[in-house]
Order: sequence, then structure tokens, then C-alpha cells
Amino acid sequence: MKNLTVLGVVILMIFLVGGFVFTNSEGNTGNVVAPNPQELQGDAQLVILQQENFNYKDVTANAGKQIQIKADSSVRGCLRAPFFNIKGKKYSGYLRTPEDILQLPALEKGVYSFSCSMGMGYGKLIVG
Amino acid sequence: MSLKEFLKEISKNERVEGELIKTIFYSLATSLIFLGILYFLEFRFIEKFITAQGYFLFFAALSYALIVPTIRQVRAYKELPCMSGMMIGMTVGMIAGFLPGFFVASTNGMFYGSIFGMSIGIILGIWNGKCCGIMGVMEGMMAGFMGGLMGAMTAFMLFNDNLRAATVIVFLISMVILLSLNYMIYKEMIMEERKRKEDHFYTIVITFILMSVTIWIVVFGPRSGVFG
Repeated sequence: MKNLTVLGVVILMIFLVGGFVFTNSEGNTGNVVAPNPQELQGDAQLVILQQENFNYKDVTANAGKQIQIKADSSVRGCLRAPFFNIKGKKYSGYLRTPEDILQLPALEKGVYSFSCSMGMGYGKLIVG
Repeated sequence: MSLKEFLKEISKNERVEGELIKTIFYSLATSLIFLGILYFLEFRFIEKFITAQGYFLFFAALSYALIVPTIRQVRAYKELPCMSGMMIGMTVGMIAGFLPGFFVASTNGMFYGSIFGMSIGIILGIWNGKCCGIMGVMEGMMAGFMGGLMGAMTAFMLFNDNLRAATVIVFLISMVILLSLNYMIYKEMIMEERKRKEDHFYTIVITFILMSVTIWIVVFGPRSGVFG
């Protein structure tokens, strides 16, 4: 088979398979959509993260209640994946859309520092 | 002038450059057939497989179809001058580290993407760089190390910022770099005879191994905490 014919076959293969992949995929990045984010047991409170410069704005929550974390549209890039290390237990999730939720347990009073998963942006969760 | 000669050479079948397109074909066919069989047997039952993993596996197949012909071209000449060998080690190490690292980090997180990218980049960088001795080996090792980390980090930082479009752009730029490397090798070795003649068995085996490992990690492999 001539090289030009082979090249034509290669291009055809790329277009066929590429077309199949592009038409069957959604405009979604990665495989990181949280499963059933709305499910929650007991009382809960909602905390919405916002971005300020390259960090999170400090947020407040009440002690003794479970916390649902959301991130509004001001939060960009890796800051959409907040990471909490609370007494050695790690909580993280990718909040791809403003509706996605990261759940934290009920916390005691105190100030909890958190960061994005890459450790580039920081914030404080003040539980009172 | 020699670019025109290179393009002419590609359409002939006299030197190893004349086999580049066929090598791309064999590599791509191996990857896509393998991926297609797995898709129809197993992966189509996985929810959102094409969106989450298939998209990146498709680009991994395209990437290996460009890396494997370069390996074949280098193997054909066996030994290259020092500067060319270093360039080969660096380019192959970097691209073979960056792209797999990028694709795996897009589905499994930065840690696993980095480890995978570094492993592939360093192994292929050393293998190709050794055509000129220790300098090429070191260059391949360093480029694979850096490329693997950089690819994974780039993907991770682009999660919420047009990762899919970035995948296409990153692939296109890498394609131009690898094709330029094919041309550079041709230009450097234009006066030399081919030292090793081989069929496409290695092309198929190398592609199959790379694709198997990539598919296993992307679909069944461990994921970073951020992926839930």
C-alpha cells in the first residue's frame, strides 16, 4: 500500500473515532462529579466559599451542625477543590459547579484552616 | 531544502523515514482496536465513560501513535552524534512524560499522573537517549522527570478551566515537536545508512504495552482523594 493511501486511512481513523468520542462526551472535565451531593442526614448548614485575590474569603459556621460546603462562581481553578484536614481526617472534593457539595461533619468551636488541593490558596473556617 | 526532501522521503519507501506513516498506522490501529474491543465488552457499561475517561484515552492513543514511530526511527540508526542524541533523549523524555502525565492526572489526580508520567518519560527518555551514550541517557532521565510532573500539574490546574480544549492544544503542540524531531533525525542522519532493519512487531508490542498500562490506570487504577 502506498504511503499516501496509508496516511489517508490514518486520517480517516482519527476522524471516525474522534467524531465518536467528541459527539458522545459532554462538556465536562475529569470524572469528578460528586455522587448524590444532595443527600444529607440530620440538620445541616450551608457555607458558600468565595475567592478573594488568590485565596478564599474566611467563612463562618455554627458548632455542632454538619456543614455543606459549596463554592460560588467567583472561585476558580484549583480553588474549586477545597481540602480540609480536621484532626488528621482529610476531607476534599471537586466542586465543579456552584451546586456541587463537599460535606463536613459537625465541628467544635475553633478556627480551621483549609486550602485548595494544590496548597496554593488558603482560607479559614471559623466555627463559633 | 531538506524539508522538501524529508517530505519526499516520507512518501517513498527507501529509508526508515519512508516507514513513519505506516508505523503511525500500525500503532494507531493497535490502540484503537484494543480500546474498541474493551469499550464494547466492558467500558460502555461504565457511566459517562467517554466523557470522563474515553476522551483522554483517545488522545493517549494518538500520542503513542506519534511517540512509537520516533522510537523506531532512533532504533533504526542505533547510534547518533552526541548533540542529536541529547536532543532525542530530551524531546522523547519530555513529550513521553508530559502527555501521559497530563492524561492520567485528568482522570486520576496529580499524584498518580505525576508518577505515571515520570515513569513513562524516564523509561522512554533513557531508552532513546542511550543512542549517544550517558549524556543522552541523563538528558532523557531529566526530561522525563520534569515532563511527567509538569504534565500532571498542568492538567490538575486546568480542571475547572477548559481542560478538554487544553488537551487538544497540548496534543497539537506535542505533535509538531515530535514531527520536528523526526525531521531533525532525518537531517542529521541523511548521509548515514540504516543500521537496524525490523518489521512492525515492536511497534505493535510497545503500543500495546503502553496502552494497556494507561487504560488500566485510567479506568481501574487508584485515584487521589479529590476525586471522591
